Amino acid sequence: MTHDVVPWDAPGPLSGPIGVPLVDLLDRVLATGVVISGDLVIAIADVPLVRLSLHALLSSVNERVPAPWADGGPL
Amino acid sequence: MTERGPELSGVNAIYVFAVCRKPDLSAVVGLPGVTDQASVSSLSLGALTAIVQTVRASDFTDEVWQARLSDQRELERYARAHHDVVAAVAARCPTVPLPMATLYHGEERAREALAKEADRFDAALKRIAHHAEWGVKVFVPPCPQDETVPTPVRHVTPTERSRPAPGAGLAYLNRKRGAQERRERIQDEALRTAEAVDTEVRGLATASRRLRPHAQPSGEHRVQVLNATYLVSARRAEELAVLTRTLRERTGVDIELSGPWVPYSFVGEV
Repeated sequence: MTHDVVPWDAPGPLSGPIGVPLVDLLDRVLATGVVISGDLVIAIADVPLVRLSLHALLSSVNERVPAPWADGGPL
Repeated sequence: MTERGPELSGVNAIYVFAVCRKPDLSAVVGLPGVTDQASVSSLSLGALTAIVQTVRASDFTDEVWQARLSDQRELERYARAHHDVVAAVAARCPTVPLPMATLYHGEERAREALAKEADRFDAALKRIAHHAEWGVKVFVPPCPQDETVPTPVRHVTPTERSRPAPGAGLAYLNRKRGAQERRERIQDEALRTAEAVDTEVRGLATASRRLRPHAQPSGEHRVQVLNATYLVSARRAEELAVLTRTLRERTGVDIELSGPWVPYSFVGEV
């Protein structure tokens, strides 16, 4: 079986993080589907903590727009 | 089990970035990883290899992470450091990324715990082979608020206030209802557009996941109504780019495509 290279974005591996928005990155590195329990910091995988930190991050950036629609909207 | 010296077993921990098959370690040479204490290295799990780094256990306790997660700069530093290593490895070989901050007390513990999951890693590697993850976000203009239909301000005397003109209440309610209906119609339409985009993209994806839409910075005059991510075969990547352009033209809404990502969202239970 051959494995195609799945390129990141540009040529060198160092180019990866440049231009990757932090919120998009956190969607992935924190909320990754695979859950392998480690010996330490088990709580980090807990959804509430991750949600909390994402919320903290988003609200620090967007204090004045708390939700997609100000009236709560359907989302 | 090899008995490590006290300075290794007691004080140090093993941080695991990813599990892959036949990695090219030159990819991670020079990458700092999550500590300057040791370089990023590999740990053999038999047919699979874990990409790891030895870290000071005291820097990676639950309490330290709690503080780190609530400090945006620190969080960003670690998220990017983790991602740099994952992306570098994944650029050279099929790779299953692990969530940020998966740590073990030592190499033997890591080997033991990860080897137990070999079947899951194999299944994930199979699923993501020749695939990349692509993010699709849909943005619509913000909903007009009530304030955009200004209510004429009228000066009233106390007696007038106690006896409103006949029909004034009804007119007010109608106006409110009209604004509410208009807002609901716009929101429904936005959600329908989001669903339509999702359906179209799913048509060429191997798997898909919906992520929570992000709130937008206050300066930004648009609302995110879809934050989805798709596992797309490498040979359909171009098709996805074309589809995104077509959808953008057809719907008139902002559609952002990001990727190719290492398939972070598709290595667990999908």
